[in-house]
Amino acid sequence: MPPSQLKRLKSSLREQGITGPQKSKKQKKQQRNAGQDQRAQKAAALASIRESFNPFEFKHLARPKKFDYVTNRPDDTKKVLGRPGVTKSQGEEARKKTLLPEMNRRNKVGGILDRRIGENDPTMSLDDRTMARFEREQQRKKGANVFDLEEADDGIDLTHGGRSLRFDDAGEAEDYDAASVGGSSDGEDDGFLRQKRRRDSDAGEMDGLPEEAEQPERKKSKAEVMKEVIAKSKLHKYERQQQKDDDEDLREELDKGLPDILAALRGHINKKPEPPAPPKEAQLVNFGINPDRLALLDGKSREQADKEYDTRVRQLLQDQRAKPTERTKTEEEKAKEEAERLKELEEKRMRRMRGEAESESEEDPEPNDEQDHFEGDVDDAAEFGFSSALPQGTRPQGVDDEDDFLMDDDLVASDSEADVSDVSEDESNQDSTMGMDDDEEFLKDVLPEKKTKTKATSGVVTINADAASSKLAYTYQCPRSHEELLVVFKDVSIADLPTVVQRIRALYHAGLHADNREKLTDFTCALVDHISYLSNRKPAAPLQVIEALIRHIHSMSRAYPSQIATHIRQHLKQLQASNDPTPGDLTILTAIGTIYPTSDHFHQVVTPAITLMARWMGLTSPTTTQNVATGAYIGALCLHYQRLSKRYIPELIRYTTLCLKSSHLTPALVAAHTKNILTAADLWSTTPAFIEIFTPLLAPLKAQKQTQPLQRLQVLLQNAKLHRRPQTLHFHKPLPIKQSIPKFEEAFDPNKHYDPDRERADATRLRKEYKRERKGAMRELRKDANFIAREKLREKKDKDRAYEEKHRKLISEINAEEGREKNEYEREKRARTRR
Amino acid sequence: MPGTKAADVAGAKRKREIGKTERKQKKEKIRRTSPSPDDEDLQTTILRLESQILESRRHFNNIATLLQIAKKEGADDETAILSTVSLCKVFSRLLSAGDMVKSKGMPHPEVVIIQWLKDRYREFLDILLDQYLRSDIPAKQSVALTLLMRLVEQEAKAQKDYSWKQGPLPRLVETLLFLPGDGDAREEFAEKFLKQFDDIRFYTFQCIKESLESNSEITTQQLLASNSLSLLMSLDTAPGAMDDRNNLLAHAPKQFKSLSSYKSQAQEAWMATLRTGLSKEQRKSVLGVFSHQIAPWFQQPEMLMDFLTDSYNVGGGTSLLALSGLYYLMSEKNLDYPSFFDKLYSLLDEDLLHSKHRSRFFRLLDTFMSSTHLPAVLVASFIKRLSRLALYGPPAGVVAVVPWIYNLFKRHPACTFMMHRDILEPNIKRELEEEGMDDPFDMNEKDPMLTNAIESSIWEIESLQSHYHPNVATLAKIISEQFTKRSYNLEDFLDHSYNALLEVELGKDLKKEPVVEFEIPKRIFTSEDSGLGPLGQLMTHVVESE
Repeated sequence: MPPSQLKRLKSSLREQGITGPQKSKKQKKQQRNAGQDQRAQKAAALASIRESFNPFEFKHLARPKKFDYVTNRPDDTKKVLGRPGVTKSQGEEARKKTLLPEMNRRNKVGGILDRRIGENDPTMSLDDRTMARFEREQQRKKGANVFDLEEADDGIDLTHGGRSLRFDDAGEAEDYDAASVGGSSDGEDDGFLRQKRRRDSDAGEMDGLPEEAEQPERKKSKAEVMKEVIAKSKLHKYERQQQKDDDEDLREELDKGLPDILAALRGHINKKPEPPAPPKEAQLVNFGINPDRLALLDGKSREQADKEYDTRVRQLLQDQRAKPTERTKTEEEKAKEEAERLKELEEKRMRRMRGEAESESEEDPEPNDEQDHFEGDVDDAAEFGFSSALPQGTRPQGVDDEDDFLMDDDLVASDSEADVSDVSEDESNQDSTMGMDDDEEFLKDVLPEKKTKTKATSGVVTINADAASSKLAYTYQCPRSHEELLVVFKDVSIADLPTVVQRIRALYHAGLHADNREKLTDFTCALVDHISYLSNRKPAAPLQVIEALIRHIHSMSRAYPSQIATHIRQHLKQLQASNDPTPGDLTILTAIGTIYPTSDHFHQVVTPAITLMARWMGLTSPTTTQNVATGAYIGALCLHYQRLSKRYIPELIRYTTLCLKSSHLTPALVAAHTKNILTAADLWSTTPAFIEIFTPLLAPLKAQKQTQPLQRLQVLLQNAKLHRRPQTLHFHKPLPIKQSIPKFEEAFDPNKHYDPDRERADATRLRKEYKRERKGAMRELRKDANFIAREKLREKKDKDRAYEEKHRKLISEINAEEGREKNEYEREKRARTRR
Repeated sequence: MPGTKAADVAGAKRKREIGKTERKQKKEKIRRTSPSPDDEDLQTTILRLESQILESRRHFNNIATLLQIAKKEGADDETAILSTVSLCKVFSRLLSAGDMVKSKGMPHPEVVIIQWLKDRYREFLDILLDQYLRSDIPAKQSVALTLLMRLVEQEAKAQKDYSWKQGPLPRLVETLLFLPGDGDAREEFAEKFLKQFDDIRFYTFQCIKESLESNSEITTQQLLASNSLSLLMSLDTAPGAMDDRNNLLAHAPKQFKSLSSYKSQAQEAWMATLRTGLSKEQRKSVLGVFSHQIAPWFQQPEMLMDFLTDSYNVGGGTSLLALSGLYYLMSEKNLDYPSFFDKLYSLLDEDLLHSKHRSRFFRLLDTFMSSTHLPAVLVASFIKRLSRLALYGPPAGVVAVVPWIYNLFKRHPACTFMMHRDILEPNIKRELEEEGMDDPFDMNEKDPMLTNAIESSIWEIESLQSHYHPNVATLAKIISEQFTKRSYNLEDFLDHSYNALLEVELGKDLKKEPVVEFEIPKRIFTSEDSGLGPLGQLMTHVVESE
């Protein structure tokens, strides 16, 4: 049972010191001396007491909660839900400010608006106003672009009291820091912490700033907003600079101390006593000695020393660790690294072959474990055909130099420069090239060998390498389409094509000019057209040349994979429409087989290509010798595609069988098809249906009297039979029965909604918000209406009262006049009668 | 009314006299006009003649002149056609006015005129049928067809109990049936009249039947059969009830009372056509539309049983097509087909997966095999045989087979031993280790109950899991994964082809950069010893063989 009102009042009065025990005269005197101040304090205290005793001043729960323990927020019970009086008066006030003027202005036209800056803004002081006006004036005068951050710098600087008004003044910040933090800091804070704190406080200041700016009710003009934005961005800029400078300072400071720290560390590990540091530095960096001892020596308290120690340790942690410089690698290491790179690529290829998604994390060459693993078995690389025991000075087999010519950027740059310089030094090099002219005939035949040999020595030789074509021009237009390419290559003999292509690639290397990328892309696309064109031509171009061109395309498609792939797919589309592979198409298909990894589970170019080949084999029948020959080629190509992934191609078996039964066979073609069969049998030797796949081929082979392959196939079939087992495809773990355990919520809050359906939960929230807003708006409107009605009534009353007043005044006036006149009259009358 | 009669006679007389003079004038006129073969002139003349005839009976002799013009061989087509058109107008006017009907008590001259008119009419019909409809010029054919049908319509409308058999329609149909080649006229007839009007259809059925039965020469019969087939095939929807037959050119004929008579008419026409013996292609086309277009026309589809059974026994694509007809009879008419599954099993041959009727067959096969009461041995045979076929089949075939097999496994759990068979007995296990095994399945066995397929495994599908096409390979993997899905909707897997597979990939733009092989091979066509490698040699073979 709470004490009664009266008791509570008494106690609170006593608490506030308004009533109390009787005071002595002395005390009263003292009190009187305090005077005015005291009285005001007393008034305030009384007001607060009165307020707290007014039951209508605070809104509480309608009835207090019965059991405190049902809620997990015990302070709920005593919470004041609102102050109706205060809010009401506030609302009234606000309405008076906004609604009333509006109401008064209603149905009125004209008037004078005071548009002077800040005139209607009560929050602006006189100084602010003049300042703002001055600012505006200066801006007008300048007439420059307001939004130009750079310009604004060298414009007029606003000053106040002779000091610059820059927000980010370092000195100012320092002041601030000194004021706010100085008291708390123990003075021994080192630079870093202070800096940090300052930065934090700066940030805090920054955060506070917009809030302050928001306070004025007045809506900001666009110019002002923009100005603010500019100021802010400038501020940020300066801040960044400042921070950078600070960091720089900090680092320098730390750097200065580095040798000492290092020495200290070393001393610490070796337990070697450090020569005593100079006394000035002893405060800062004194790691050589046990900090406890040092603290004792210095006469500091233990806590202080510990604290300092912790700071130092933290500082050390934040310091970047020095890295050892990279050691020059030995040849073995290089070879090993190369082997590792290849192995990694091979791993990736295997992943693609299995059709596993390449996740980003897998792409990163990071885990140490893996590297250890690689180092553990170096010979693994050999398994994949890349020998790790490489002869010194040469590149691993299979990786072409031609490629590095383009791929390694730095190498390329020097390369192409060399090429360009070569062109200028043409004369001097002429001798050496002339000397090689003798073997021109020879060179044509062994072009690739020579190329690799010469290029391996240095990039400069690339042009000299093809001495055979020294009569060729050194500069060419970069053809952007096949037509242009034909024009450019018109006078070039076919054998020289690779050289010319190489020169064009060097001349238009992507590093030399921004446009060269596109040029080379188009050029490569034209080359793709060209290999098809060359193969279709009669007589067909020598295969060596086409091969060299394919290799060029390959190396370029590393740089521009998308465009070239798109172009090749165009060719595939044409083949899809015709379904009649010309030698040109076959060349393209061959090129696809070397340029792209054919073992991938899915590949944007390879998959359509092999589907096209399979379609051709599936839908045609060998009616001509040409068909049989094309079939042999496509078969071999398909098997070449599948050399790693060993995927099964049903159409190949079908077509080969048909070919072997066909009447258009030549001995060479029989041999080719038989070879295909054997290759296929080797590739697919592990497939479970080997017997079913290859048994139908026995009869045709027998018919063609191919005894040796026949025997081989029979052996393989026998082997397959031996290894055949009943299928066991379903060693799966039994699926667990679906469980329906109710989902428990940790720390369940009954006031919260746990809707698992996110959309629905959002919708509910939105609906609630809408309802609340709507209620609020309606309430406001209602209050507005009340206010308006009240105001109107008041107005009317005023008016009525004024009228009444006036009326009364008039009547009284008239009465008075009448009375006066009557008196006058009476007086006159009396005078007359008296007369 | 004697007065009017007399006047009529007098009129007729006068007309005849006038006609005579007219004719003389006419002849002179023709003589006069013929030397100058001015088309414009002749055409205006024709129009004038026509209007004169329509004006009064006096000018009836103009009909003969017009007939002359129409009949003239080698004359200008346009004028001839124009003349026929005007003649048609004339005759249809006469027919509708009843001027060509004799009635009792008519005066003699009147009868003579009518007789004369009838003769001219017959002459006109002959011209249209023999000269125009059989001509090589499509325009003439088309005109003749339209005009004849117009006349048929007029005739039918003019007389209450019009006997169609006497009219031009039977002759028209017969002429059409005897037209060689792909007659445009026949098509037009089918399109414009046969499909539109039920009465025309009714009488055409009759005509077809009669003309087929009356002709027994082999050469003509084949022509007749193919032509009648093309006419009959053009009909797509059969009437469902009597109410459907309200599209009539003229009034309904007497026999044309019930749906059953209508249908039996159609049935007889069909039977007559089928009886003539169809070529393979014709048979296929008939079977192709059998259950939708043909069977509904039959009063008793059972009549077709022999035809279907024969077709089913032909083998190949014909059998595949006959299957749907048989299914129709079996499901609708309770047909009992002995050893149906044996036959069905025999249809699974090498060509099945390459056939263009593949999807159709699979739809039916899925229906036939949908029963869960089929013996597991039989189902296993089907599974094994189809997987064997899929091993050599195109991707589209594999794509159809694999989900089907999945569904069957799901339906017949006894067959799942084909996927997973643990050998537990140590003896057999040892034997297996030492000697391996052969496939117990006998591909040559005809009876699906005896193939021993259930003892076998589907190694073929496992092989297809490494198919060159990624999608096919992935699909084949469903067999070795857990069977959690209830069933695959076979319909989604049926209509695939090489082109569809290619379109899917080549049709879209590159989204990701394609991976490029990291290693540039040193040799592609050439080999180490400065000669051509295997691919290079093959390439030269290709180039040389061109």
